[in-house]
Formats: sequence, C-alpha cells, structure tokens
Amino acid sequence: MVYIAAWDEFVERSVEIFRSDPDTARYTMKYRHCDGKLVLKVTDNKECLKFKTDQAQDAKKMEKLNNIFFGLMARGPEVDLAEITGKEQTEAPAPKKGRGRKQ
Amino acid sequence: MSPPAPPRKPSAATSSSSVTATTSPNPSIKAPLHPDSFLNELTAMFERSTEKGSVWVTFKRSSLKMKVQINKMKSAGESIEYKCLVRATDGKKKITTTVGVKDHQRFQASYATVLKAHMTALKKRERKDRKKAADVDKKPAPKKKKPSAPKAPKENS
Repeated sequence: MVYIAAWDEFVERSVEIFRSDPDTARYTMKYRHCDGKLVLKVTDNKECLKFKTDQAQDAKKMEKLNNIFFGLMARGPEVDLAEITGKEQTEAPAPKKGRGRKQ
Repeated sequence: MSPPAPPRKPSAATSSSSVTATTSPNPSIKAPLHPDSFLNELTAMFERSTEKGSVWVTFKRSSLKMKVQINKMKSAGESIEYKCLVRATDGKKKITTTVGVKDHQRFQASYATVLKAHMTALKKRERKDRKKAADVDKKPAPKKKKPSAPKAPKENS
C-alpha cells in the first residue's frame, strides 16, 4: 500500500489515476471515530494510493477532494478541475459584502 | 379469443437475472436507496460506530448498464449517461445509492454536512502547538553567544 505524505501530491496523482481509467477507478474513505483516524484510498486495481490522517484540517481538504471526484464522476473525466472549483465559488458567494462600509 | 395465459408461479428466479437468486431476502444487500434516505442511513451508521467500528464510503463512476448495452449504444452513436455510485458500510450493513449529474451538487453539500458533523474525533491543530514549535526553534538560537564579541583591551602596558 502506498501511503502518500503530501496532500497535494495525493490529489494530483489520484486525479491522474481517475482520468487514465475512469471506469475502474474508485475512491474510498474509511473513518474510525474510536481511533480518530481517517484513511483515503484511490485505486484502479492496478495502482493504489492511500492517505492517512488524524487532523481535522485534512477533513476539510478531503471535502474539496470529494467535490472534485463528484464532478469528475458525474460529469466526466474531461471536466477541468478549475471548472469544479470555479463553480464552488459562484455557488457560495462571499457573504462579506455587507461589511464594506469604510468611508 | 386469446387463450388464457398459463398460470405462472411468481418465483424469484424469473424477476432477477442472477443465477444465485435466493427466495429469502438477504438482509445485508439492499436495492439502491434514494440519495436522501442514503444520507439518513449514513448518519445512523456514523452514530452507531462512535464507540468502536469503522465507516467505509466508496465512490465510483458507473453507467449502471451492462457492457453489451454500452457497446450497442456506442455503435449507435448514443452518449452514455454516467452516474456516481456511492456505497457505504459499517462492516455489517451495506447501503448504496446512485447520484446523477443533476443531484450531485445537492448530494455533495448534504454529504459534506454529514461528514463535518461526525468527524469530530480528529485532532484540531491548536495555535499552542505552533507556538511551541516556534519556541523550540528559537531556544537554541539565544543560547549561542557570539564569540566574535569585541573585547575591550583591559591591560595596557
């Protein structure tokens, strides 16, 4: 099992795996509350990448990765990642507009 | 006059195409759920696995069609609609759902909410850790006294 230490590398390589074989690639998440551990796995039955963590900040990063995978799986592997992240920004507009009252 | 249809005993074998069709329903395998009920079940799974146990969630892209159909559609020039297949298990019970393109954004938001609500056992990085790390780095620095300090000549001959 290949455990990747750097998050960005894990994301990049897992998207690569998915794009090269979208029909067999799958993304698995295992969460153990009693141990406080989260393990992510991406594989196409030939290559396997894993990421292990116990940090809450990685859960937030994982959510972004979930969005990426959802987009890739539902729309297709040709979808550009910028389109997915761009859509997130348009859907969740910055709610800070009301604060800007500086004279 | 149409002849009456021969009385057919409704057996499970006729409805399902699998060879291993059993008459008694297997409780661990369920038909695909609606995304909302899947999320409810997933929440229940997380709540059940707090003290011990794991929750596995798997995403896979699938068109939910057999390869024969896919080949036929490809040769006919039809585009195949793919869905995201989501499976979850707590080691005992398995649930599954499919999310299409239209549902996926809504499902993704709800799914993220469920995860955030339940992944509370993960460690949060406190600022204290960062400060401690900074202090550890700084400590050896002031200890080092500069040997090149200019010494004033004490004795003048």
